[in-house]
Amino acid sequence: MTTLGSRRHWTGFAIGLVWFFFILWPLMGIKPGGLEFIPALLVWARIAAAALFIFVLWLLRQQGALGFLERPAARLGAAVSGAARVVPRTAWIAAVLAASMTLPLFAERYALDVAINVLVYVCLGLGLNVVVGMAGLLDLGYIAFYGVGAYTYALLSVHFGLSFWLCLPLAAGLAAVAGCIIGYPTLRMRGDYLAIVTLGFGEIVRIVLNNWMSLTNGPNGILGIKPPTLPWLQDGLWGVLELRALGGLYYVILGLAAFTVLAVYRLNHSRIGRAFEAVREDETAAQLMGVNTFAIKLLAYAMGAIFGGLAGAFFAARMRFVSPESFTFMESAMVLAMVVLGGMGSIPGVILGALALIALPEVFRGFELYRMLVFGGVMAVMMIINPRGLWPAKRVGQRSEERGHG
Amino acid sequence: MEYFIQQLINGITLGGVYALVALGYTMVYGIIQLINFAHGEFFAAGGYMGVILISWLAAQGVPPTICLVLSLGLTMGYCALLATAVEQVAYRPLRQSSRLSVLLSALGMSIFLQNGLMLTQGVYDRAYPTEITRGGLHFGMVTFSYMQILIVAVTAILLVGLNALVFRTRIGKAMRATAQDKTMSALVGINSGRIISLTFAVGAGLAAAAGIMVGLYYGSVRYDMGFVPGIKAFAAAVLGGIGNITGAMLGGFIIGMVEIMAAGYISSEYKDVFAFIILIAVLYFMPTGIMGENVDDTRV
Amino acid sequence: MRQMKSTLLALALLCSALLFAAGCSDNKPKEAPKAAEAPKTEAPAPAAAPAAAADVLKVGTLSPLTGPYAADGNDIANGARAAVEVIKDQGGIPGFKDIVVQAEDSNCDPRQAVAAANKLINEKVPVVVGAYCSSATIPASEVLAEAKIVMITPASTNEKVTERGLKYMFRTCGRDDDQSKAAISFIKNQLKVDTVFIVDDKTTYSQGLADNLEKLAGAQGVKVLGHEHVNQGDKDFSAVLTQVKAANPAVFYVSLQNSASGALMFIQAKRMGITAKLLAQDAVYHPQLMEIAKADAEGAFLTFGYTDKETPAYKAFYAKYQPKYGEPGAYSTYAYDSAMAYLMAVKAAGSTDPDKVRAALLSLEFQGASKKIDYLENGDSGSNYIIQMVKDGKFTNYWNPETGTLY
Repeated sequence: MTTLGSRRHWTGFAIGLVWFFFILWPLMGIKPGGLEFIPALLVWARIAAAALFIFVLWLLRQQGALGFLERPAARLGAAVSGAARVVPRTAWIAAVLAASMTLPLFAERYALDVAINVLVYVCLGLGLNVVVGMAGLLDLGYIAFYGVGAYTYALLSVHFGLSFWLCLPLAAGLAAVAGCIIGYPTLRMRGDYLAIVTLGFGEIVRIVLNNWMSLTNGPNGILGIKPPTLPWLQDGLWGVLELRALGGLYYVILGLAAFTVLAVYRLNHSRIGRAFEAVREDETAAQLMGVNTFAIKLLAYAMGAIFGGLAGAFFAARMRFVSPESFTFMESAMVLAMVVLGGMGSIPGVILGALALIALPEVFRGFELYRMLVFGGVMAVMMIINPRGLWPAKRVGQRSEERGHG
Repeated sequence: MEYFIQQLINGITLGGVYALVALGYTMVYGIIQLINFAHGEFFAAGGYMGVILISWLAAQGVPPTICLVLSLGLTMGYCALLATAVEQVAYRPLRQSSRLSVLLSALGMSIFLQNGLMLTQGVYDRAYPTEITRGGLHFGMVTFSYMQILIVAVTAILLVGLNALVFRTRIGKAMRATAQDKTMSALVGINSGRIISLTFAVGAGLAAAAGIMVGLYYGSVRYDMGFVPGIKAFAAAVLGGIGNITGAMLGGFIIGMVEIMAAGYISSEYKDVFAFIILIAVLYFMPTGIMGENVDDTRV
Repeated sequence: MRQMKSTLLALALLCSALLFAAGCSDNKPKEAPKAAEAPKTEAPAPAAAPAAAADVLKVGTLSPLTGPYAADGNDIANGARAAVEVIKDQGGIPGFKDIVVQAEDSNCDPRQAVAAANKLINEKVPVVVGAYCSSATIPASEVLAEAKIVMITPASTNEKVTERGLKYMFRTCGRDDDQSKAAISFIKNQLKVDTVFIVDDKTTYSQGLADNLEKLAGAQGVKVLGHEHVNQGDKDFSAVLTQVKAANPAVFYVSLQNSASGALMFIQAKRMGITAKLLAQDAVYHPQLMEIAKADAEGAFLTFGYTDKETPAYKAFYAKYQPKYGEPGAYSTYAYDSAMAYLMAVKAAGSTDPDKVRAALLSLEFQGASKKIDYLENGDSGSNYIIQMVKDGKFTNYWNPETGTLY
């Protein structure tokens, strides 16, 4: 024990615990009737015990005492990743595709529902990734495009009975127009000014949706939206209708997500993608090199918005109901969280991020009231442990200040 | 005319609250270029701590005025402690990482703190003892409630105090130096880590004061009360030129005033739209805010 | 600096430890027990489930357990729990070994509500009590209807909930259109005044009610001096209240989704010196209204479903509910009755088959804790709105629109 951790570590740990107690106790212990120490102490003691456990574990690890566990694990990891490298990438993609194609065959209804949600957010995340990850424009109002797409399909379906497949490009187009409208005034701004302006736009769209009664029916939302129809689904096989319906929706969004992945992948490796990257890395230099930064930035907004619009149209078709409550700032923040958590600019990263952020709260349903507490904490901890994201994008070159810091 | 004066008073009160919250945003941003999403939660924690302390002190038989002053001071201290802890846990390890990682960590902390408040304080609103501050001055149709006077007064005192701290003391000088250039200020012997913690503490203290004022003025607090003022105050900070203390005050008052006037004269349902349109319009013509300096080309 | 670094490490660990402890700790802090009973009451479920899954009757609830409407949402879950406990005390239901409540969080968000509904379908619940927000109830009900699950809403008063021809959709609370009729009748026939100023906070529910009132007012010759909107989550109503003061109406109709917002509105109205009579609706009905607004709520009127607190049904409910979950909120009794009606229907039908249960529910007629319950063909159970007044910090019955007499 004498060698376990230095005195410095232990004092730090103790200070932290005492500190935590002084934050916790006033919230729980000060009552008009008098001061109570027991409840706060009980909660504190549990947390302190758990913290001690993790702290000791950490110290042991620092000293290499856990080597007997870590070394085989590391060897296993190396073996797996070595094997992974041997298998060609196409095989991996095929495997993922096959797995996702066959999911409805064995997944339960609830799992399928979560899977659909994940795929919707994959589309959204990848769309935002174009704006934030590739072009480096911080956008806190991205959900507005999702809303535009959703309402476009909802209104066209309810009033004109247009089919989902026809509305899909229309929704994407309108979202792109909205992207340009939002993009235009922000072109001169940089960094955090952009953040608040896009946030403002997102709020404006939501408030307008909520208040333009004659068009959007305000907070009541729009009911009676038709689900997407597939001719081959209607051929006689209506026996297990409900499951089919959810399964069918799953394939629709899987197709949309696959399209998004492919489009973003191609974009990433195109001239435009390079231009996005140039604008992100150094706008002035990009301009100097002959990149039309004005057009490129507008394009980034429009491109990102298209995927948001597609996802929105699907969302409306799937819920068969839209209301402004689905398009709040928290949603924008969630999509941004997916992009950053997964690894900015990285397609598998964003997919992983969407999976993590949609599936986690569902997994945490077991925690009941603690659900969002755990979620928030895990989000912060994940960022601290892995600031570059779960699956960071490979970047060519380095910026000067990245090398300078440290 | 009376209608206008009344709305003017309403606007100043709301603006004062926004200004106090906005100051925290702007100070933190000025020093480490971080949009501290958890800042609204310090405001909410302040609101709760205020009601906890006021009811406890009142139960001990402390006279109302002393009770108020004492809880204000203690609450500000408490939130400073909380903010420093958050800074140590969630922001410090990410000092060298991309700014978006910190932003996300801040968002996570915001969700965490909000739900922590919910779990310890319950999902219901907590009532403030509003008896202390009932009544007001009536001039014809115009009402200036004591609480509004108190808010304006406390805001003014804190703003003057903050200005003195930042521009008249050694600590303030160190803060400004760190904001300008961390490496250089470290070279001249400033402990930048400590200064950053201090900045968080001061910002959170101001938010806590705003939390108490809001609790007293409106009569109740709730665990999610930090969210909306948080966004508005963020807008105010940016409007004034983020990183600039005078700008944040100005921005707070402008946003508060626009909101009230839009609600009073145009349409209450679109009042936030007007607030944001003013923000966008100002930023379109002055891309760095009203009093902001030119920021260099920083990526997100 | 190094000192700092280790402090930070300790705090980081602490933070993660907190997460860990939060998950498994069953020691709930002060206020939480009210809302956090869930794990305790459900504790037997996992143990009993594998043994004889078919013998456990699961009652699902869907309501906002977190978020701005968490207060009402928890009342709903607790109301259903109380009903299950009462039935269990009476010896349970023949054919079922145990009855458990499975409470899911809808967060008042359509997406999460649908996810939660799908989860409940997965869990094979035959009934869902909920949801709260009409905007969550409507999409969730579509999903539940496809799976033939009975849904009984204790709180969604929007007309559309039962007007879409869903076979297994029932409603225990009243309807918006009936509530506004009671309100206008009160203004015209009891207060005998002819000007009103309306404020709502733009939710499906609150705005629907306000719009109905505005329409009815026009037809009845009551002049609407203004109809303004505030946003949910607003705390500052001074701009709108200044307008109210300038318009000087006889009645100020407050249609907000949340009782705490209602309390804030009352406080600020009184502070502003508004002398109009305050009239609010049932979402503002909650004990916390008086807790927050205190003296400022005195004399305010509310339209609320009439609850006879002297009936044995209410007393049975109260005896079960109050010690465990605190004072009942606006929807506690409705949730209790919803769950009760379902359990009684299952008892009568002898199975959980949705068609049999539906038939049993339709033929059911009983005195619930909230009102006399008799489901109609479309799923509604009739409204029983009366006018209540806040008097000495309590809700008291004031005027009956049916008979036009004071209590």
